[in-house]
Amino acid sequence: MVTSTVNRVDDATDQQRASASPRDPKGLTRKQRHWRENIAGYGFLTPWLVGFFGLTLVPMLYSLYLSFTRYNLFSPPEWIGFDNYIRMFTEDPNYTQSVKITLIYVLVGTPIKLAAALGVAMLLNYRDRGAGFFRSSFYAPSLIGASVSVAIVWRAMFSTDGPVDNSLSFFGLEIGGWVGNVALVVPMMILLAVWQFGAPMVIFLAGLKQVPRELYEAADMDGAGPVKKFRSITLPMLSSVVFFNLLLELIGAFQVFSSAYIISNGSGGPAGMTNFYTLYLYKRAFSDGQMGYASAMAWTLVIVVAIIAFVLFRTSKMWVHYQGDNR
Amino acid sequence: MVNVHKRRRFMALVALTAASGIALSACSSDAEGEADPTGSASGEESSEGEAASGEDVTLDFAFWGNDVRADMYAQSIDLFEEQYPNITVNETFLGFPEFWEKRQTEAAGGGLPDVMQFDYSYLRQYSQNGLLLDLGPYLGSEINTDGLTEQILGIGVVDGVTTGIATSTNAWGMYTNPKLLDEAGVAEFGGGTWDEYSEWIGEVTAASGDDVYGGGDYTGRIQNFEVQLRAEGKNLFNEDGTPGFDEARLTEFWESGSELRGENNIGISQQKLEEIYPISGFGGGFTASELTWDNFGAGYLGELGESYTELGLIEPPVTVEGAKDLYQKPSMLHTISANTEHPAESAMLVDFLINSPEVGAIFGTNRGLPASQSMRDGITFEGMDAQILEYEESIADRLGDAPPVPLVGYGTLEEKFRVLGTELGFGTVTVEDAVSQFFAEMDVVLNS
Repeated sequence: MVTSTVNRVDDATDQQRASASPRDPKGLTRKQRHWRENIAGYGFLTPWLVGFFGLTLVPMLYSLYLSFTRYNLFSPPEWIGFDNYIRMFTEDPNYTQSVKITLIYVLVGTPIKLAAALGVAMLLNYRDRGAGFFRSSFYAPSLIGASVSVAIVWRAMFSTDGPVDNSLSFFGLEIGGWVGNVALVVPMMILLAVWQFGAPMVIFLAGLKQVPRELYEAADMDGAGPVKKFRSITLPMLSSVVFFNLLLELIGAFQVFSSAYIISNGSGGPAGMTNFYTLYLYKRAFSDGQMGYASAMAWTLVIVVAIIAFVLFRTSKMWVHYQGDNR
Repeated sequence: MVNVHKRRRFMALVALTAASGIALSACSSDAEGEADPTGSASGEESSEGEAASGEDVTLDFAFWGNDVRADMYAQSIDLFEEQYPNITVNETFLGFPEFWEKRQTEAAGGGLPDVMQFDYSYLRQYSQNGLLLDLGPYLGSEINTDGLTEQILGIGVVDGVTTGIATSTNAWGMYTNPKLLDEAGVAEFGGGTWDEYSEWIGEVTAASGDDVYGGGDYTGRIQNFEVQLRAEGKNLFNEDGTPGFDEARLTEFWESGSELRGENNIGISQQKLEEIYPISGFGGGFTASELTWDNFGAGYLGELGESYTELGLIEPPVTVEGAKDLYQKPSMLHTISANTEHPAESAMLVDFLINSPEVGAIFGTNRGLPASQSMRDGITFEGMDAQILEYEESIADRLGDAPPVPLVGYGTLEEKFRVLGTELGFGTVTVEDAVSQFFAEMDVVLNS
């Protein structure tokens, strides 16, 4: 795929040069020059190509094959057809549980995170003084959010007698720790995700800066209130950015791993409530040595995420508005 | 134009160099160990090193543990390197689960470390897949077996081949917290049946203040189930890998713990346990008793802090009077990778770590009660070490033969058992569902 693009680019430049000067000063034929340029091109691409084929494409295809086998890393893979998939969908209550909490996490967390990002971006868009400071402070959690230390701090904050428990007790809410609480640990994980709204916020902010002021001025003249302005101007003008953020955040949320791994110490507890899809996959693969089953899980996730992305792209025509687009 | 061409050629060269540089650096790391023949000859070998080549050799050694143990190994290996100046040992360590995740991938890629600290539950899997060196040829030469009994040597034998040597043994026991019992004003558990133990837990909990319990739901640990099965003359898993219990027996076991978990506040709540994990309720000072391996004592003292100098260590509850339900388990073994380039030197390191009295003095009972007599001789048993030695002598009547080497995938099942125990504690699964889930998991593990 990539190599053919390179070829085409090479061809194009070659033809241009050939028409300008049929023979170059060193007396090389077109073919020789062509070959030399390709060598240089592939030379520069080599590290990337090696990475792409050796570390991405081949292992991916191999894992597709593995998903139809029983493979424990030690003995050679043994072909078992669709058994892994059948076991996944019909016989594994942990899998069902894992899918359930992952969906809750994605479907509840992503909209809240995007709403928070948009809200804060709009607030920041209004004020000029100190905007840089606030932008950086709101963005900071996203930079450190994926790191191990934050998950550790989060775990400590939400334990019994931790800061969150104590603050809530102060207001008369005696609910104890969240980390070990079956009902509260998923909301806590969602909070952790929402807190990292900085990345979509920055993108929203850039989008907001692009909305022409004249539109708001015209709306003011017509007597539109803030809600009307938001719904009729801001949202439609931002729809392409919303689409972009939604796609990115959905895919990212499906892959939540490190925070769950750290907060549960790799166990997926309490009672499997942080056993998110990728964590369960990881445990099946590397703790239990069920590589075939884990590969089947991975491919199921890939297909589901691809379908979601496809549906989003399809429906985007109905609600995403691009500037200068007359549809 | 000429310049342009020169530049282009130069760029091509740069690109190729860069690419080949990456390729080369990827291969070079493997070669280092053997590529240095300097200082190989004369003079440096110590008297015990004759069987080995005497060349400069680097060995990789991996273990699981914490900082305390890492420090002990570092001291021991310094001594080893002093004695064998031509051997350099690189140590790496991880926590237990991560240790095995890493070994699994290394095993698949053929890159296991030369010498490993090893767990009993993985011995069969790695041995049967030909990943571990047959130690037979080294026994009695590089590896001195004088201080090891037949029974100890038998522990590391899978299908007639010795692939591991036990460093030490431990036995199942019950730790109690004298300070908490004192505060509650309840006497230490005086022995008895499992039901009597549950009653005692209730007494301590009732007599204690907030957040202190007599114990926890012991049915979350597969070892307690095993002790009960052994008392009935069965195994947890037989030599052929079949389970020694049926659904009804497991149901009965899990139901016997029902009053210790849930809302009735007799045992410590699962939520509390979840928050302090990986420290246990006992190590956190929240429960007055815990059933576990007897070498955990020093670790508990460390977790409980300076206000603790002693703990109680007593027999587990009795299922059937007079039964030989307990056994000495190798707390860990040492093994050598089948792919090692330096088998003789690796065997010398294993010998040192297993037999040396100096290493014994450094470790005490950190790895369990040393298996080798010569290592025991290096230890002055006092405090916790003496208590553990005394405990294992006191249960001699209950010690039976060790069960078969754990089946392949035992680690997975043990973890599954633990997780189901926590779910029972939360009440998110019924005993019936937990039993069927465990049997479903067994089906997968036993058939793969």
